[in-house]
Amino acid sequence: MRRFIESIRRSFSAKLSIWVVLFSALVFLATQSYVTFVARRSVREEAIKGANQILDNSRLRLERIISDVESAADNLEWLVYRHLDSPDTLLEYSRITVQGNDFLTGCAISFEPYYIKGMKYFSAYSSNTDGVVETQQEGDDDYQYFYLEWYLLPKLLNQPCWTEPYSDWDYDDDYALPTEMLISYCKPLTGPEGDFIGVISLDISLKWLSQTLSSVKPYPNSYSTLVSRGGTYLVHPDSEKLFYQTLFTDYLVEPDPASEQMCRSVIAGEEGMEEIELDGEDCYVFYKPIKATGWAMAIVCQQKDVFGSFNRLRAIVLAIILMGLLLLFLTCLNVIRRTLQPLRDLAAEAGHIAEGDFGRSLPQVDRVDEIGTLSRSFEHMQGSLVSYIDELTKTTANKERIEGELRIAHAIQMAMVPSVFPAFPERKELDLYASMRPAKEVGGDLYDYFLLGDKLYFCIGDVSGKGIPASLFMATARNLFRVVGKEEVPPAEIARRLNDTLSENNEQLMFVTAFIGVLDLITGHLDFCNCGHNPPVMIPASGSPAFLDCIPNTPIGACPGWEYQGQEIDDLRGSAIFLYTDGLTEAENLSHEAFGDAKLLAELRKDASGPAEAVVSRMLRAVAGHVGFAEPSDDLTILCLRLKA
Amino acid sequence: MTIRRLLTILLLAATIPAGGQTKFVFSPQWIAQAQFAGYYVAKEKGFYEEAGLDVEILHPFVTQTAEERVRGGQAQATMLTVSEALELVDKGIPLVNILQTSMNSALTIISRFGSDPLSLKGAKVITWRSGFGQIAKCMAAQEKLDYQWITASSSLNIFVSGVVDAVMAMSYNEYYQLKQTGLVQSEQGVYRFADHGFNIQEDGVYMTAAEYRKNRDAAERFAQASRRGWEWAAEHPDEALDIVMGYVKEYRIATNRVLQKLMLEEILRLQLDPDSGERAFRLRPDMVQKASRIMREGGILSREVTYEEIVP
Repeated sequence: MRRFIESIRRSFSAKLSIWVVLFSALVFLATQSYVTFVARRSVREEAIKGANQILDNSRLRLERIISDVESAADNLEWLVYRHLDSPDTLLEYSRITVQGNDFLTGCAISFEPYYIKGMKYFSAYSSNTDGVVETQQEGDDDYQYFYLEWYLLPKLLNQPCWTEPYSDWDYDDDYALPTEMLISYCKPLTGPEGDFIGVISLDISLKWLSQTLSSVKPYPNSYSTLVSRGGTYLVHPDSEKLFYQTLFTDYLVEPDPASEQMCRSVIAGEEGMEEIELDGEDCYVFYKPIKATGWAMAIVCQQKDVFGSFNRLRAIVLAIILMGLLLLFLTCLNVIRRTLQPLRDLAAEAGHIAEGDFGRSLPQVDRVDEIGTLSRSFEHMQGSLVSYIDELTKTTANKERIEGELRIAHAIQMAMVPSVFPAFPERKELDLYASMRPAKEVGGDLYDYFLLGDKLYFCIGDVSGKGIPASLFMATARNLFRVVGKEEVPPAEIARRLNDTLSENNEQLMFVTAFIGVLDLITGHLDFCNCGHNPPVMIPASGSPAFLDCIPNTPIGACPGWEYQGQEIDDLRGSAIFLYTDGLTEAENLSHEAFGDAKLLAELRKDASGPAEAVVSRMLRAVAGHVGFAEPSDDLTILCLRLKA
Repeated sequence: MTIRRLLTILLLAATIPAGGQTKFVFSPQWIAQAQFAGYYVAKEKGFYEEAGLDVEILHPFVTQTAEERVRGGQAQATMLTVSEALELVDKGIPLVNILQTSMNSALTIISRFGSDPLSLKGAKVITWRSGFGQIAKCMAAQEKLDYQWITASSSLNIFVSGVVDAVMAMSYNEYYQLKQTGLVQSEQGVYRFADHGFNIQEDGVYMTAAEYRKNRDAAERFAQASRRGWEWAAEHPDEALDIVMGYVKEYRIATNRVLQKLMLEEILRLQLDPDSGERAFRLRPDMVQKASRIMREGGILSREVTYEEIVP
């Protein structure tokens, strides 16, 4: 289940289709409910109309029978009064009445004891059994008709009346057995003074009545029923109920107040329609009274019959709607899937492109909608991406080449400065150490030294600018220093000649600051010329290190024809000189604070008595400690030289 | 419809043993119904046969009275209420009670329109031809109700028609029939004699003294087997009802299972002694004495008939 929901969640087409179908179902449901409501009401009204019509027809038929019986009684009454003195004639009249009215099963003209010719019992009775009419005089000690209801009722009421159904007994058998259920129309006979003398009773078979009335059925399972004043079923399709049960029988053991109330309305002579449950089925009961008799007629229709064809139609419509919704769902799914296919293809291709396969050809989409636009934009993007990547590849290769060349240039530059220490192992009195760290692959700093006899020529310099131009200028300056130095001229002269050479054709206006020195290792005499360079720090044998007092002059290459002034120190023996470029004092940390002269001096004052290498290394550590994680901003070169005493 | 009488044949049959079994004809009070369940059970379950009796249950015609049944002599034993028996003894027909089933009165008066029957002075009230409404007449006299009694063989339909104000009804039969018409809805209009100092036993089986002397042994066996039938019916009311419905169908009685079920339940309830709560099957001297006194005072009896006169 979770997998199914997940698959729906992942599928846009499934989600959209479900929404469409849900909404359509809602619309269909609302429409169907309304139609059902309206149609059901009209079907119900039709049913009520139809049932009432049938009820009226049956009632008319019944009232005709009633009126026929009552007319027969009226006709007979007139004859009876005329022949009260002739029992045989009365017998004949009862016979003629039964013969002349085939709806009668019996006719009795019965009298009070001793009224007819002193006879205790006289009842002229004719019966019609399947067309055979028998006539006899009835009544004896075992059959005392005076106490029977068909005799008592008109006597007590003193007016014509219909009896409730009662059993006719067949006394011809060994035992008296009820033969059939009858109802009788009874008319009291009165003497000249209005005194009661007897009863005319005409019987009809309830079986016959039942057959006559129950033939019309509006629906297959519906039935007509006729109930007496006492609720007894006079007409009912169920033979268990017919005559034997009343409307209320079932409620004696299983009370049902709503149904009982309806039954009371029925026997109370009311007219109406009720919806009740009968034998587990929802039914409509239509009922009307038969006024002359106190009976009531009813038609019972099962709701499933009334709404049978309507319900079938509704089921078919529902089935069609369900199938339609299913079809709609499948169509939606299919159309959306097809519409989105280019997107899916695009997504797949984009995946490949993302993995680096830029050359894949994209599916061709001829559509003009958003998907077409997207596809074309994507195609354009792919083209741009391919050319960009090409450019990038070339640039990268180029960069790599330049970087390679720069690495070589770095190696060449580093090889141009002496880097083997101790520099002159045979001159034990000289302790010299130098370090150069370009900020980029190649830098503009330089240092150099060489020995000519007992004299050490050395210099440190810093070319203006950085990078390759600076490195080339540096290389030229360093070579010139070597060439000019070899001519054993003093530092100021070296500076002047360098200046003259480098100034020529210096269109780039590059220059180099430098400190050039010549040290006599024997006497400790130092000649030097500062060409616009940072003043070095003197580290005397005793006393605190301090900046060397220098004539600034001007950087080499800047002013052609400049007359450089040299300076000298008589004896450097026992002392050390610490040379550096501005990469040391101007080294910045992340807060852009420069290392500075003060820190330089303080560092040297802490301890500068050790070998030159130790002094340089400690200073480099101090600078590294100050700079931290900041990028080196300038080349850094240090040279330390000590002449032992 | 001349009634062919088979009296002679019946009398002959009653005295000649059939297949080694003594023929015994018993007449219940009324047409087939659950009121006689115990006897049907005894016959159908073979209790009579085991007792060596070939019992015929001969239901009366609806217009026959108790007196006519006893005097007619078609049956050796006849079912009567205590009041009917006392009346017949008083009229000079000595009777012997061989089995008493009822321990309570089932008699009621039900008014047509729901008012208390005791308030209906001068009302038209239906009574039966069969005489077991005598106690009611005595009550009415005692209460000075001045009822106009209308005798009918069957009261129900006249009651429904509304020409009378009230009707006598047995709590096991007409009471339910009237409820079945939907006309009786409340207990307000129902006067139960048992609740007003007239709780007098009813159904019992009687023989004329002469008949009893002749068939004393068979009578005792009949009583014994009938009692067994009632006890079985009390224990198996559903099966007993099935047997009753068999008789009802055979005699084509216009009734139904619901009515017969209610009747059986009520009849079995009436068989419980009001003091001990048990199915006692005995005539109570106090009730006989009370009935005798009431009927004497009501002018039905000319003399007091004693318990000893009707008990063997």
